[in-house]
Amino acid sequence: MVKPILEIFSLTKNFGGVVALNEVDLKVMPGQITSLIGPNGAGKTTLFNCLTGLISLTTGRIQFQQTDMSGMAAHRITSSGIARTFQNIRLFSEMTVLDNVKIGLHTQSKGYLWSAISRNLDYKKEEEQVTTSAYQLLEFVNLAQFSHQQANNLSYGDQRRLEIARALATEPKLLLLDEPAAGMNPQETNELIHLIHNIKSRGITIFLIEHDMKLVMQISEWITVLDYGEKISQGPPDVVQSDPLVISAYLGQSLDKQ
Amino acid sequence: MLNRSNVSDNTVVETEGRNQFLPVSLKLAGLLLALCLVPLVTHFLDRGNYVLHIFSTVYLYMLLALGLNVVTGFTGLLDLGYVGFYLVGGYTAGLLMVRMGLSYWFALPIAAIHGAIWGLLRGAPTLRLTGDYFAIVTFGFSELLFRIVKNEEWLIGGPNGFVNDIPPPVILGIELYQYWQQYYHILILLLVTLIVVYRLQFSRVGRAWQAISQDEEAAQTMGIGLYEYKSLAFAISGAIGAVGGAFFAQFQVNISAGVFEFWESILILCMIVLGGMGTIRGSLVGAAILGSLGEVLRILLSILKLPADSRYLIFGLILVLMMRFRPSGILTDNPK
Repeated sequence: MVKPILEIFSLTKNFGGVVALNEVDLKVMPGQITSLIGPNGAGKTTLFNCLTGLISLTTGRIQFQQTDMSGMAAHRITSSGIARTFQNIRLFSEMTVLDNVKIGLHTQSKGYLWSAISRNLDYKKEEEQVTTSAYQLLEFVNLAQFSHQQANNLSYGDQRRLEIARALATEPKLLLLDEPAAGMNPQETNELIHLIHNIKSRGITIFLIEHDMKLVMQISEWITVLDYGEKISQGPPDVVQSDPLVISAYLGQSLDKQ
Repeated sequence: MLNRSNVSDNTVVETEGRNQFLPVSLKLAGLLLALCLVPLVTHFLDRGNYVLHIFSTVYLYMLLALGLNVVTGFTGLLDLGYVGFYLVGGYTAGLLMVRMGLSYWFALPIAAIHGAIWGLLRGAPTLRLTGDYFAIVTFGFSELLFRIVKNEEWLIGGPNGFVNDIPPPVILGIELYQYWQQYYHILILLLVTLIVVYRLQFSRVGRAWQAISQDEEAAQTMGIGLYEYKSLAFAISGAIGAVGGAFFAQFQVNISAGVFEFWESILILCMIVLGGMGTIRGSLVGAAILGSLGEVLRILLSILKLPADSRYLIFGLILVLMMRFRPSGILTDNPK
């Protein structure tokens, strides 16, 4: 029996009196594409923020690859293999495209004060390796030709793909994508689907938040639905689609049933 | 045929790269040589020593601006109390040399380490702070140190923190107190600092700092430990400030609390803002302009019979004009 790569046990997050997440249980199986959907304000991004350590959880437990991650610092969570992108793209906008990916390679290198100041052999080797890996990643997302442009000069779709390349640079086992298709036209969305499949074939598990239902139903193997901070449904796409709870969360209840 | 054209393409690229590289390094070597020859020229000038004094002061400010730039420029945290590290370095070196008879060559590294320690100590409570809150703590830190050396009696032993007759450094029995010797002394310290800071900027560490300055949360999700890299910047910045202070102590021979006032922090901050925040060239140019302007104004203002402190009015005016016409500094890639 395959064990889940990520397991969340009764995760609760309160902001003052507001319950953003209420006793959420969730599993992500390795090698799969799992989606997290729900109406606006359902707590999806909050869940991602808890997972990546950017905000602390109120109660509950997060288990990644059979180890307890709850309360771990954000940068340690990244080094243990969870990477993410942000809903409102957060690139290092004044740095070059190449440098953005190089920062993603931070955990994959270890040069420190002495190697930097002395510029010894280790430094040169490592910098060369970092540059090579960065270019490989840029080629993977089709951005190599923009490597020396400032990140905020890229088009919207390109910025999204750069953010994915930057996240991949940390060599994650689990990649969290927060609304990767937001603001994309149909053609860009198709390219994105292709890219997500390519990432999956690298052996990386994908967990994504998305509002584009066509995309979600097309690529997900498992879907979890949140509404008002609670899990209301889960299962394969066809099961979730026909779940009356999900339909009423998105469309509201029909009058004759009330 | 194909192979041959490939080879020639490669050689073209390589020689182009070399041609571009050589003039830059030649220019730098030429500039360095010119700076090394300055004392030879001033030797024949009427007031040559005064010129050397101004040069040395400007180099000292360049060193301090580079140090402040590590925190305020690279990691993007506004430091309003940089003079605190300058003070720590000055008093550490001065007291060790005067009271304990320690050689300058030992006092200098001890001062640097002491500065780094204070950088870390100040960093500990401020690691979670950014923006205005961080700036206020740094301001408080330098004011506290200033008040202590001004008023305490157990360490320095008297009001206003006078430490007098600080001896010059000695090499092979020769006391390095003459102007031209001091000139080379600070020039070497500046060059070493410059190389260290420059190399750090273009390394994994420098990239991590830049990431922190642009988006702390995104930097964390890239696996960058915020506290670790901020502490590192604080320590390095503190050490550089203290090195400046140690040089200053023996350069001035007598130091007192008065020279470590709050204004000095603002002056150094103005230098890196004027030159262009976050760039090394900017720090150097800003320090050269404001450092030498200070000396020029000292003469000019005394001719005009204005108090020496009114030079701060001029500095203020320059900053206001900068903010209006070129807010990201003189040397910057993107003037906004």
